[in-house]
Amino acid sequence: MRTPIDARLYQIGFLASFLLLGFITRDWQLHIEVVLTAIAAALTTQYLCLKLKNSKNLLVPLHNGDLGGYSQFYSPMITALGLSVLLRVDHPWAMAFAATIAIISKFLLQFNQKHIFNPANFGIVCAVLFTHEAWVSPGQWGESMWYVIMFLICGGLVLKKVGRWDTTIAFLSFYFAMEAVRNVYLGWTWDVWSHRMMSGSLIMFSFFMITDPRTIPNAKPARIIWTFTIALITFILRNYFFMTTAVFFALFLAAPLTLLLDWIFKDDRFDWFNLPGAITPEIKSV
Amino acid sequence: MNMIRSFFAVVLSLFLVFTNSLPALAFCGFYVAKADTKLYNQASQVAIARANDRTILTMANDYQGEAKDFAMVVPVPTVLKKEQVKVANPTIMERLDAFSAPRLVEYFDANPCEPVRRYESFDLLRPAAAPAPIASNRAREKAQGVTIEAQFNVGEYDIVILSAKESGGLESWLQDNGYKIPTGAKDLLKPYIRQKLKFFVAKVNLEKFETSGFTKLRPIQIAYESPRFMLPIRLGMVNAQQAQDLIVYILSPKGRAEVANYRTVRIPSDVNIPEFVKGEFSDFYKSMFSTSYDRENRNVAFLEYAWNMGNCDPCSADPLNPDELKQAGVFWLEQPIGTNKPQSFWRGRRPMPMASNVFITRLHVRYTRDKFPEDLMFQDTNNQENFQGRYVMQHPYLNETNCDAGKQYRAGLPKRFDQEAQTLSKLTGWKIEDIRKKLPTVSLADVSWYDRFRAYVR
Repeated sequence: MRTPIDARLYQIGFLASFLLLGFITRDWQLHIEVVLTAIAAALTTQYLCLKLKNSKNLLVPLHNGDLGGYSQFYSPMITALGLSVLLRVDHPWAMAFAATIAIISKFLLQFNQKHIFNPANFGIVCAVLFTHEAWVSPGQWGESMWYVIMFLICGGLVLKKVGRWDTTIAFLSFYFAMEAVRNVYLGWTWDVWSHRMMSGSLIMFSFFMITDPRTIPNAKPARIIWTFTIALITFILRNYFFMTTAVFFALFLAAPLTLLLDWIFKDDRFDWFNLPGAITPEIKSV
Repeated sequence: MNMIRSFFAVVLSLFLVFTNSLPALAFCGFYVAKADTKLYNQASQVAIARANDRTILTMANDYQGEAKDFAMVVPVPTVLKKEQVKVANPTIMERLDAFSAPRLVEYFDANPCEPVRRYESFDLLRPAAAPAPIASNRAREKAQGVTIEAQFNVGEYDIVILSAKESGGLESWLQDNGYKIPTGAKDLLKPYIRQKLKFFVAKVNLEKFETSGFTKLRPIQIAYESPRFMLPIRLGMVNAQQAQDLIVYILSPKGRAEVANYRTVRIPSDVNIPEFVKGEFSDFYKSMFSTSYDRENRNVAFLEYAWNMGNCDPCSADPLNPDELKQAGVFWLEQPIGTNKPQSFWRGRRPMPMASNVFITRLHVRYTRDKFPEDLMFQDTNNQENFQGRYVMQHPYLNETNCDAGKQYRAGLPKRFDQEAQTLSKLTGWKIEDIRKKLPTVSLADVSWYDRFRAYVR
């Protein structure tokens, strides 16, 4: 049987395509040096952190098996591409800062061998709060149905592999419902609601950021509670504090809750090499 | 083409895209007529100076109906006291417009047979904006659930700030006080009432208007502190049958502003277009804007200008001086430099003259009910990158030339003209045949066939 392709490679492929698509069709003012800075900073930081941690041969695979020794660089690559898609900077240094701190957070801010914050999210929030050179453009994807469908398909492929569909569905359901109630209360027509929900940035967030299996709660009921919390914080920040980038701050604020939820709801920790339905190296070697 | 020496001899034309071509202003509220006057509702200009949560909003008034019929209702985030409202200098919008308008830049090819010479620059057209007169009425009473939070007079305007508990009450208050509410307004008032917005109702005090000496209504300027950074366009669509144009100038100490809940797209810029466009730049820009608007599926905001107000290159008008910036609502000029945009810890301190902590963003939104269901939300960013709508006109040298260089230059012109024509056709949707008819003719009788071929394949 063939070795299953790591879901993260799909993610890298999709994020790179989104970046290209945004640049070509969505009038993003992307600067290639900023994208390269993000990638270089993330990979270098990952390398240095691994080196410090192991102080042995860096490229020893984390697991045995033939999945490749470079797989520990998939994650910083995803972080770098995610940052390039979402974060806009006035200067490449702000991007370097975001990428570096994102990777460092993985190594430093961890509990029970699980990092607390989604690295890209952590990088975005820190860059926006501390550099005064970075921002997020929530309107950058527009509100086109085609982009929503595209994110749905691409995100769906990744989520199917990692088995975290429930997170996206729960988050979107909770958030859509809250906004729908508000829409009815205010007396807006339904196209106001659908315009808000059709935001490409929101959909992309719910497929590619909130679902990071390494930072979300392990047990299913815990994930439902967790996504409800994020939806609620997003709703409050957006409608009562008028924050245009509410989702990122909501995820950031809710991240530590994962620790509590994992403690209450015991379940196996996510492992990229033990995907549901995938052939694990152990089984394969039998 | 290295034979063509293009010279800077540049200059710009400037034009007020909409102010003199489209009547009236809708702004973000609606006009409520006191009679069956036909209401125009197509173009409006708003300036927003904002730092942190403090906002000074200037609404230019292009209303062109009968003066006595004028009245407008605008949702505002807070109750405004008299000292928070004033009338602004009528020319300030024209200044902002002139400074930020899309520009035509001219270059002149030199005689290819002669050494370089620099040409003089000159100004092109600059039409004036055309605002209009107004009037008033008075009536005040309390209707169900409606509270008059403040009531005062500023310049030629009588102003009432209302809060309401329900839209029916507000509607009847307005009707009882002689305002003609557009059909369908009631349903739209409800969401604003429930969001706890107040209503700014302004009309003209005829006596004061007549004694003021002004022939046109001056812009109204309001100051408030609120985290809301939005324009309620939805209300303005109640009495508009067709697309409306809104030009928003956002002044910020941080950098470029953008729309947060719609895409912000740069208007096509930095393209070479045929020289005859100089005579019809206004038509060109309008066609180009419409084509871009259709191409982007009619649901985006266009960025027409983004620049630090400390300079411009090329300048379509002099930068605003500190006094004019203050008139436009910039309230942070007096503060020590650097308190608004903290210095980057990477770049060290940059010397900053006064006006350079004002960044202007000009957004042009053409909106209709079906494509813009939600009010416009804005956000200011730290983006300091400059952008301008700039169109380049390269005048060819068409006088007789006999030198070899001159022949080669002429041989290259037809191809260049055609490229410019195609660019123009693509941008505006104009027919390429019509454009080609207007292109200058080049005499190639004395140019050898291989020179023509070389120019063609180059």
